Amino acid sequence: MLLVLTLFAFLLAACNSESGEDPGAEEDPGTEEQEENNEQEEEEEETEQEGPVEGGSIVGAMDTAPAGVFNPIFYSEAYEANILDFTHEALVSQNNSLEFIPSLAHDWEINEDQTEITLFLEEGVKWHDGEDFTADDVVFTYKSIASPGYTEAGGIRTEYVTPLKGYEAFNAGETEEFEGVTAVDDYTVKFTFAEPNVNPLYYVGFPIIPEHVFADVAIADMPTHEATLNPGKVIGTGPFAFTDMVEREQYVLTRNEDYWKGKPYLEQITWKVVDQSVITSLLETGEIDFVADPNGVPAADYEMVAGYENVEMIEQTDFGYQLMGFKLNYRTKEDVESGAINPDNWEENPDVADQKVRQAIAYAIDRPGLVEGLLYGRGSVINAPIAQQFWAYTEDVPQYEHSTEEAEALLDEAGYVDTNDDGFRENPDGEEWVLELAYPTGNKIRERSAPVIQENLEAVGIKVNLQQPKEMSAYINDIMTKDTNNGVDLYLLGWSLGSGDPDPSGLWNIEAAYNISRWNNPESDELIFKALEAPDAFDQEFRKKTYQEWQELFATDLPAVLLYAQNKIYAFNKRLNGIEPLPYSMINDPHLWWVDDAQ
Amino acid sequence: MYKYIIRRILVFIPMLFALSIIVFALAKAAPGDPFTTMLDPNVDRQVYEDRKEALGLNDPVPVQYARWIGKAVQGDFGESIVYNGRPVMDLISARFWNTIYLGLVALFFTIIVAIPIGIYSARNPYSLLDYAATGFGFIGLAIPNFFFGLLAIYFLSIQFGWFPAQGTVSGNEVSGLKEFLDRLHHMFLPGITLGLASTATYMRYMRSEVLDVLGSDYIRTAKAKGMADRNVLYKHTLRNALIPIITLMGFEFGVLVGGAVITERVFNYPGLGTLFLDAIINRDYPIVMALTLILVYSY
Repeated sequence: MLLVLTLFAFLLAACNSESGEDPGAEEDPGTEEQEENNEQEEEEEETEQEGPVEGGSIVGAMDTAPAGVFNPIFYSEAYEANILDFTHEALVSQNNSLEFIPSLAHDWEINEDQTEITLFLEEGVKWHDGEDFTADDVVFTYKSIASPGYTEAGGIRTEYVTPLKGYEAFNAGETEEFEGVTAVDDYTVKFTFAEPNVNPLYYVGFPIIPEHVFADVAIADMPTHEATLNPGKVIGTGPFAFTDMVEREQYVLTRNEDYWKGKPYLEQITWKVVDQSVITSLLETGEIDFVADPNGVPAADYEMVAGYENVEMIEQTDFGYQLMGFKLNYRTKEDVESGAINPDNWEENPDVADQKVRQAIAYAIDRPGLVEGLLYGRGSVINAPIAQQFWAYTEDVPQYEHSTEEAEALLDEAGYVDTNDDGFRENPDGEEWVLELAYPTGNKIRERSAPVIQENLEAVGIKVNLQQPKEMSAYINDIMTKDTNNGVDLYLLGWSLGSGDPDPSGLWNIEAAYNISRWNNPESDELIFKALEAPDAFDQEFRKKTYQEWQELFATDLPAVLLYAQNKIYAFNKRLNGIEPLPYSMINDPHLWWVDDAQ
Repeated sequence: MYKYIIRRILVFIPMLFALSIIVFALAKAAPGDPFTTMLDPNVDRQVYEDRKEALGLNDPVPVQYARWIGKAVQGDFGESIVYNGRPVMDLISARFWNTIYLGLVALFFTIIVAIPIGIYSARNPYSLLDYAATGFGFIGLAIPNFFFGLLAIYFLSIQFGWFPAQGTVSGNEVSGLKEFLDRLHHMFLPGITLGLASTATYMRYMRSEVLDVLGSDYIRTAKAKGMADRNVLYKHTLRNALIPIITLMGFEFGVLVGGAVITERVFNYPGLGTLFLDAIINRDYPIVMALTLILVYSY
C-alpha cells in the first residue's frame, strides 16, 4: 500500500515538473506567434498534450457578495479574501505540508533565541501601479496595524503585531518609531519580538499594503478610502489586479502584466455572485468555471456534480470541526456584566460534571452515522481538536467508537440508572435528569444533526430536551457572551481553524472567551502553554509531543464531543488547467492557471 | 387641497418619530450585537469590546437614541457597522433603485396579465379559458416564490437560455440603450416571480369586479339603448370596475418593495430586501433604522 502511494506521489511530482517547465519555454516568443500556435494546435485537436497557452478568461462563483472592504488590514470575511488572495501577497506563504515557503521574501534568518527574524525581499517586484515594492511597505503595513486607532477604525488583526517589541508604546502613541519592524535597507526587513517566539514565520506572513498609496491617509479613514473600496484603486503586488465591479454582482480581476513570478496566462478572472441553489446548474452549463471557498459544492450535490462531464472536483479535509460541547461551568451574573472570565467564580453544572457521563455520551453518539447520513460520507470522524492536516494532530487518543453497551455500562457505573421505570435514567440522587441541547439555525447540516443526537442519547436512556433553535446572534449570546446558569447543558457549534499554527489556546485555554464549555482543567492549560514556551518549543518534536499529550487529555476529559470534520468540495471546469490546491485554499499560483480554449 | 396635504405631512412627522423610538428600542432589545457572531479564535475578544465602546454601543439605549435621532434629523443616518464604516445612505441608495425598478416591472406584469384575463373571464364566465385562469390563479397563489423562481431559472435560463439567471446587468461594458435593454432582460425572471402572486390575486379581483358591474342596472340600460358592446365595456364597465383595483394597486407597490426579500435572494438581485435581512441578522443597527423608516415612508 505504502509503495503504491509513493509511486503515485512520484507520478504527481513528474507531472508537476513537466507543467512547470513548459511555461518557461513559451514565455519568450511574442504573443502574436503564440496566438498562431494556438490556432494550429486547436486545429490539430491535441488538447491533451498541449502546454499552457496564454489568454482567455474564467468565471468563479461565490454564494454571497463580499462586504466590499478590499484591504488586507481591514477585511474580515472569506468573500473578500476570495478577491484579496489574487491581488495581495505576503512575505511568506505555505506549501502543501503547511511549511512556510518564500513569497515576497526569498530568504530569511532567525536568530538563536528566536527573538529576531530578518527577511530578504525579492527585488524588482512592482505594485499594480508600477511603483517598486520595498521594505518600507512592509514596515508601513505592520505600523498601520500597530498604530493607535486601528481597532477603533474596525481593524481586528492585532494578533500579528502584539508579540512584536515596542507594540504597547507605539500603540499608546508614546513614540513614532515601532521597534518591532524596521527596514535594514530597501530589501531587508527585520522583525523583533518582545519574547522568544515559537513560530515567527507565522507573524511575518501578513499581506502587504502599499505605503505610497496610504502614506497620507489617517488610519481612521483607511476603511472608507477609495484605495480600499474601489476597483482600479486597490493596489497590491499579486498576479491579478482588481479592476472593475458591479457591486454585489461581479468583481473583475485583470492580470498584472508585470507580475514578478511571470505574466499570468489568464487575461481575466471574474467572480460572480450566484445563489447557492443555482451554482451547480451553472457549472454544468459552463457559465461558471469554478467554485471554491468558503462553501464550495454542498455535500448533497457531490454525486450530481461528479456526474457532469465537463467538471472536475477536488475534495479535501477542511480546517475545522463541528462539536457538541458540554457546558461544564457557568459564569456568574456579576462576571457576565463586567465581562470578566474568572474561573474561581464559575458555577459548576452538575448535569454533565461527571467525566464518565461525558464519555458515555461520546460512545452513544453514532458519529459515522452522522457523516454518512448528513454529509453523504463527505467528511470524517475526528477525536482531537487540532486540524488533521497539522503535524501536531494525533489519532492516538480514545476513539469512542459508537457503542450503546459501553455507554450504558459507563452510565451505570456513574450511578445514572433508571429508578422509576420511565425509560430514562435518573441522576445518582434519584432525581430527574434532563439534558438541554441548544443549537443555532443557519448551518442546515448542523440543524439536522440535533434530533439525531437526541435520538442516539435517548437510545441509552438519557433524556434530552431539544431547545428551539435560535438564530446565531441570540444563540451565541446565550451560550457564550451571557452564559449565566441558563440551563443549557449541551451546545452545537463549529469552528474553522487557521492553517498557520496548530496552537489551540484561542479556543480551549481556561480563560479564553471562546472556551464556551468553560472547561476548567489546569492540566490542559499547563500543556497548552508548555507547547509555546521557549526554548524547548523551538523544537517541533517537543511541541508535537506536548500537543499529543494535550489531545489525549482533551479526549479523556471531554469538554466537547467532536462530531465530524466536513470535507471541502471544490469544483472546476475541465477547460481550466494548472489548479494545484493547497490544503487550505484552491487559490494557489493563479498566474499558472490556463484554459484550453484561449482565444 | 394644499391644506389637506400639509396637515397630512404634519401628522406624519410625529408618527415617524414615535415609530423610530419603537423600532430603535426593539432593535436594541434583540439579543446580541453586531460583534456577537464574529467568532474568530485568532481575534482577541477585547478588540470587539473596544470597538463597541468606540461606537457607543455600551451607552444606555436612550443616550444612543438621542445621538442617532440628532444626526438623523439632519439627514445623516450614520455608518454601517458590518460594512466597516461605509455610510448607510450610500449602501441604501445603491440598492434603492434596483428594488423600485423590480417593483415596477412586477406591477407592470401584474397589470398587463391580470386585467385582460380578468376581463375575458368575466365576459365569458365558465368558459375553458376562465377555468384555466382560475386554475392558474390557485397555483400562482399557492406556489412559494422561491420555488417558482428556481423553476423559472431552471427552465427559462438554464435549459432554454432565454434569460440571464442572476444579477441586474451583464457588466459595466454595456451602456446607453443597450444597458437599459440588458437590465430589462435581467429583470424579466425576478419580475414575473415577484409579480406572480399578485397577478393571480388581481385576476380574480378583476373578474369579480367586471362581473359585478356587468350585472348592474346602468349597464343593462346602456345595452337597452342599443350601445355597442365595445363601448359598454370600455366606457362604462371598465371605468367603474378599475376604481377599486387601482386603489388596491397603490398599496400593492409597498407590498412588492417590502416583500421582495426571497425573490431577491434567489436571483441574487441586490435590492433593499437582502440588505434589510442581512442587517437584521448581523444587528447592523444603523441600516435597520434607516431602512425601516424608508419602508414605512413608502407605504
